[in-house]
Amino acid sequence: MNTQLKRREVLAGMAGGAALLSSPAVLRAAGNEAIKMGTFFSLTGPASLFGPTQTACTALAVDQINAMGGILGKQVEIVAGDGGLSPAEAAQAAIRMTLQDKVDFIVGSHNSAVRQSIIAAIKGRVPYVYTPLYEGGECAPNTYVTADTPQQQVKPALNALNEMYGTQKVYLIGNDYVWPQKLNERAKEYIAAFGGEIVGEEYAPLGPGNKFDDAVTRIRAAAPDLVFISLVGGDNVNFNRSFAGFGLDSSIRRLSVLLEELTLFGIGAENSDGLFSSMSYFTAVESPENDAFKSQYAAKFGADGPPLSMLGADAYSGTHCAAALLNAAGSNDASAVMSASNGLSYTTATGTAVMTNRHVNKDIYLAECNGVAFDIVKSFKGVAHGETCSV
Amino acid sequence: MDGLLVAHGLNISFEIVVLALVSLGLAITLGLLGVLNLAHGEFVMIGAFSAFFVQSQGWPYLAAFPVAILACGAIGWPVEKFLIRPLYARPFDAILATWGLSLLLREMVEFFFGRGFNSVAQPIKGTVNILGADYPAFQIVVMLAAIALIATIVFWFLRSVTGRRIQAMVDNPDLAKAVGIPVDALARNTFVAGLCLAGISGVLLAPIVAVHPSMGIDYVLKSFFVLVVGGLGHILGLVIGSGVIGGAEATVSAIIDRTSGYSFVLILSLLFLWRRPNGLVAR
Repeated sequence: MNTQLKRREVLAGMAGGAALLSSPAVLRAAGNEAIKMGTFFSLTGPASLFGPTQTACTALAVDQINAMGGILGKQVEIVAGDGGLSPAEAAQAAIRMTLQDKVDFIVGSHNSAVRQSIIAAIKGRVPYVYTPLYEGGECAPNTYVTADTPQQQVKPALNALNEMYGTQKVYLIGNDYVWPQKLNERAKEYIAAFGGEIVGEEYAPLGPGNKFDDAVTRIRAAAPDLVFISLVGGDNVNFNRSFAGFGLDSSIRRLSVLLEELTLFGIGAENSDGLFSSMSYFTAVESPENDAFKSQYAAKFGADGPPLSMLGADAYSGTHCAAALLNAAGSNDASAVMSASNGLSYTTATGTAVMTNRHVNKDIYLAECNGVAFDIVKSFKGVAHGETCSV
Repeated sequence: MDGLLVAHGLNISFEIVVLALVSLGLAITLGLLGVLNLAHGEFVMIGAFSAFFVQSQGWPYLAAFPVAILACGAIGWPVEKFLIRPLYARPFDAILATWGLSLLLREMVEFFFGRGFNSVAQPIKGTVNILGADYPAFQIVVMLAAIALIATIVFWFLRSVTGRRIQAMVDNPDLAKAVGIPVDALARNTFVAGLCLAGISGVLLAPIVAVHPSMGIDYVLKSFFVLVVGGLGHILGLVIGSGVIGGAEATVSAIIDRTSGYSFVLILSLLFLWRRPNGLVAR
């Protein structure tokens, strides 16, 4: 009986196999798995405000990529992870994503502590594209950074403000983790280079919201020309509200390096005098490419979609970069992708970018807050990223 | 006097007063009813959103107070009746239930107002010079209003008939019931009053801070620390707890930095939970 059953199974299997072989087109469609893209966006936690626009912009990019034939001839399917987790939890999620969900590549927009733990967890097994502005220096194998680097984001802005307003004395304030600390190291070099002086430096813990009355009091006493702000989210809002509440906005200028449309809305129109931001994307950037991007976004999500901002536009560009990388390499093999990355050009929200040393030279904008909107006061074309990762 | 010293003194005072204000509602629900309301911060958030709503309608800032009281009351009344009342004798279940409530309230506000930051304009603009220190005029008003509010509540609690009845209920609910005190209604009103006070503190804070659906978490934790250090036995616990937590954090922050200030508060709270779980003013 046992043998009989076995024989019957084998026969059934053979019949099934023959049936499938006789219809190869169906077989290929069914067996042709989608290419899996893992994402780490801020779905929860302090940065979760940015999650919806990151997710929406990525969905737009995936639509466009799929319409143009997908990646390596396969349609892209998203496996969504949460970049708002703690670094340890994010590492576990990344391991699950690579071993269990078997993603073919990862695109992430989250803080630097989470980036370091994801890199340690996936060990370069799949290509990993990191998209939001960061402190520089990330050269881990099979890791590609479309983010703004300090040399792009910070150096031209500090120089320009010094030329325009003579902001020689600078006070640094940021959250207490890797991005603000390393960014400030770079900022100090740039400030020293134009003969400026650091008159204060302090950090506030990342986590529950901070009050900044005491920091503002210290800043008043230090009397800087410029406050260089690397606070994130709610802390950036609270600090700038206190700063203006204490009346410092009329005499001291501020440059915030993570200030986009959503955060500015929380700071409020009456608290944004003399406040500047420097990034590679503002919705206010006037170019045919940005107009096209904005209208495509509006067409897909309508007027009620998540409000566009830099972190969403970066995720959009990063997704296009990942698609271009794998298509150019012909696979997701680490060494093939690494060598394909140098000189690779890909679509961004504001045009086309070219990757060198696994970083990207790009246009940077210095914007001054005008109420809760940004006025672009300076554009810096094709700013070099200044990173030296091997390829 | 040194302007810088005055400025730091004002900052420390403000931190202590705001902490006492935000903790007042929790002191009532936890201290009198024994319910550790983890959704306390969400009622502060609802108060702040009341101020935002009032502003977006073009109404005057003061209109936010009745709106916040109405909103917190309208939510608090059914919450007490259906969620809290069956759990008065089961404090751990109440913690879980109010945690669930906090998630629900956050999601509800997110649904109506979105996840983003909102800005409430300061109703009184500019700074005043106090002994050589420029200080925001509105924050002076908040301090005075908070002190007045706390003093009124304490005075009322100690002197009014209702205050006495609440004390009787807390001491011995069965006996209170036997002498004709409507314990159920009294507990409900006390609970709802605690929530409305959280809402009022939200209205007062809204023009100073970032108004967003997750802001409540910033307040419930520190209020809890205040009550851990101060103790639940007496209204003095609230004042002393706020003084110790707010004062310690602001002072260490002023001398060293925010990270040290926050760490100090955590260590202090841990030491109290470990060595002196009833706080400084035990029942």
